Amino acid sequence: MPKLQGKVAVVTGGSSGMGLATAKRFVDEGAFVYIVGRRQAELEKAVSLIGHNVAAVQGDVSNLADLDRLYAKVAREKGKIDILFAGAGIVDPQPLAETTEESFDKLFAINTRGLAFTVKKALPLLNDGGAIVVISSIAHAKGIPGFTAYSATKAAVRSFVRTWTAELKDRRIRVNAISPGPIDTPIFEQQAPTKEGADHARAQAAAAVPFGRLGRPEEIASAALFLASDEASFVAGVDLPVDGGMTAI
Amino acid sequence: MSRLQNKVAVITGGTSGIGLAAAQRFVAEGAFVYIFARRQEELDRTVASIGRNIAGVPGDVRKLEDLDRLYAKIALDGRKLDVVVANVGAVDSVKLADVTIESFNHNFDVNARGVLFTVQKSLPLLNNGASVILTSTIASLRGFPGRSAYAASKTALRSYARTWTMELKDRGIRVNTITPGPCDTPLIDAQVSSPEEAAAVRAKHAANIPLGRMARPEEIAAAMLFLASDDASFVTGSELLVDGGMCSV
Repeated sequence: MPKLQGKVAVVTGGSSGMGLATAKRFVDEGAFVYIVGRRQAELEKAVSLIGHNVAAVQGDVSNLADLDRLYAKVAREKGKIDILFAGAGIVDPQPLAETTEESFDKLFAINTRGLAFTVKKALPLLNDGGAIVVISSIAHAKGIPGFTAYSATKAAVRSFVRTWTAELKDRRIRVNAISPGPIDTPIFEQQAPTKEGADHARAQAAAAVPFGRLGRPEEIASAALFLASDEASFVAGVDLPVDGGMTAI
Repeated sequence: MSRLQNKVAVITGGTSGIGLAAAQRFVAEGAFVYIFARRQEELDRTVASIGRNIAGVPGDVRKLEDLDRLYAKIALDGRKLDVVVANVGAVDSVKLADVTIESFNHNFDVNARGVLFTVQKSLPLLNNGASVILTSTIASLRGFPGRSAYAASKTALRSYARTWTMELKDRGIRVNTITPGPCDTPLIDAQVSSPEEAAAVRAKHAANIPLGRMARPEEIAAAMLFLASDDASFVTGSELLVDGGMCSV
């Protein structure tokens, strides 16, 4: 029985990785999904892969005009949003001693400010009783060398979820975070210039997970489906770790 | 509607409240469920009302021989276990100044020791990849007068989830706690002497909950189903709050 029949969802970071898997799962469960990403070619591939009940909007969440354009399109075509999945995010590892202003600002512009304004600008279209799912990270609860700014951007995202739970309660909009552990997505290719480098980074990440493997993007998608659906009708303000046990160590 | 197709589950405390709702939902999703509780008439009533794919075994989690009998029956039936929901809990309201050895021990015997042995004795029957779910309480996260022993005994469960995640990871067994907020059950009516008083109790709880109401037992059961199912295949060692936002704001 489809859990999202008739719903309209917006998925940022929807052209690859966790966002793509989530968009696909939402469509499988009966939703119409807008996927948002920066790269047109990736968006087109994603639309092909999903095949139906999906539309792509090119845009950068750190650009307010792009967000306005996104929501104007959704308003024109669907007139409402039931589910917002804020999955757009970047990594840029730098030890504190080498942290640049540029990297620091870029991480916060996309992961934190971009996410906040993605949600803010959706509010007029969001249905009362709707659901917001944001992607934080296991990093916000750990000390990982090289992740000063990244971890802080994700800790802020977890904090947003508490504040927005309180602010949006009269509209019965549930806001929850997922904190993924390392997930097998193209983000590894973004960080390593060679295939060997990316594979090595994957192996290192998997070794830190009690389950001894990376998570699959579909495993984030199924957690997102739970939080976005009526199955989680009494779940609000939480941070759900999907991390193969990393919170246990 | 078959997310637990062909799975076998044990639910302790499965004849009322959250445990009963979980038994109903798990059977609806295709599982065979063993419920374990102290009173035969409650077991019989529950088995009759659910009507299929359910068996009741009487016993007390404080008695190791009762737990042995539960798991011996499952083995005799030729079954292995995919889900264990350690849901039995004792609760009382005793201010620190009035705590006795008896009241202290009662809480720890049922909630801390009883849960450990419930799970320990399931180990030989657990399939690889099984899911263990421990029912905690928001009292373990907040200070409520009168809950010295109760809250402390339940705090053990969050710790168990971490320890057992690390002990059982090589078998792929996931261990998580579920932390329900205030739940609307007939117990509320049973504890007061008029409908007006009951309404006042419900309103008092609701005032502290962002979603503005108490949980329905089915909502806790839906979250247990998520943890029990393959949708949570990368979720282990975690605590899933199902409290309407109460402990997050």
